[in-house]
Amino acid sequence: MRKYKFFVDLAKEEQWLNEMASQGYVLAGKSGASYRFESGEPGSFVLRIDYRSFKHAADFEDYRLLFEDSGWRHIAGTKSSGAQYFLKKTADQSEDIFSDADSKAGKFKRLSEMWFSLAVCFLPILTALVMAGNIDLTAFLQPAKLYYTPGLWDKTGADFWGAFLFETPFALLRGFIWLILPVSIVLYAVFAAKARKQYNKTLNKI
Amino acid sequence: MNRDKNLPLTETVYYILLALTEPAHGYLILQKIEELSLGQVRMAAGTLYGAIDNLLKLKWIQPVQSEDSRRKVYVITDRGMEMLRMDSERMMHMVETTRRRIKL
Repeated sequence: MRKYKFFVDLAKEEQWLNEMASQGYVLAGKSGASYRFESGEPGSFVLRIDYRSFKHAADFEDYRLLFEDSGWRHIAGTKSSGAQYFLKKTADQSEDIFSDADSKAGKFKRLSEMWFSLAVCFLPILTALVMAGNIDLTAFLQPAKLYYTPGLWDKTGADFWGAFLFETPFALLRGFIWLILPVSIVLYAVFAAKARKQYNKTLNKI
Repeated sequence: MNRDKNLPLTETVYYILLALTEPAHGYLILQKIEELSLGQVRMAAGTLYGAIDNLLKLKWIQPVQSEDSRRKVYVITDRGMEMLRMDSERMMHMVETTRRRIKL
């Protein structure tokens, strides 16, 4: 069975995957937003998510082997994907890949740092666009300026609507594609703050 | 007396250093810790991995060559040994002082 879902919150994702497992759907693979499940005995699997990226393939291999040796099967995650999914066959639903609050909280800190660095990466691009005068704010007031079809505004009836609707997607791209940058920066900053909050919450929960 | 700012060590760090007085890879460290602590400390894989990462940065442990090319093997450094000695002296003092003041 396949399901498509997108999570920003690692804790909620882990909770959902464990709920699925308790209903007999055990995570067997994940690529992007697509989760692949296989059937397994309900209540006999625990799924845990770690967040960690690696510089070298050997480090990743060593990391996975430590978990495998400890009885955690690595289900999904690559060297640089960050999220790593581990599954253990056990009736004890409290089994965890972390044994203290510090290390359990640590994954949210790494996640928060990743979102924050993404936000910071986009800042110079936006600054450069603004400085170079590539962003035309008057497009908000006079969107008509974004249409380049000669004589578009003199046309009438079906002729006008055909040409107008045809060009609209291009006009929008031309005028507002840059908005992706500030929107992404704000989103990444919000995700970073959320992960940071979760870090503090986990740290204070013994 | 000025105490090293890294003291006292956490139970996790103390046992990892103690286990690494002989070279060992990750899972072997977990087993040794359980054995050394008489089953009281059962460390999970994710916790150990993060702690090893941190101890490598502090240079209290270092990687060593091994026959197992897939699993990394570590051993304690002189600096790590010094920390272990200082913390055990700290605890020894606590135990002795306690014994002197109250009957256990």
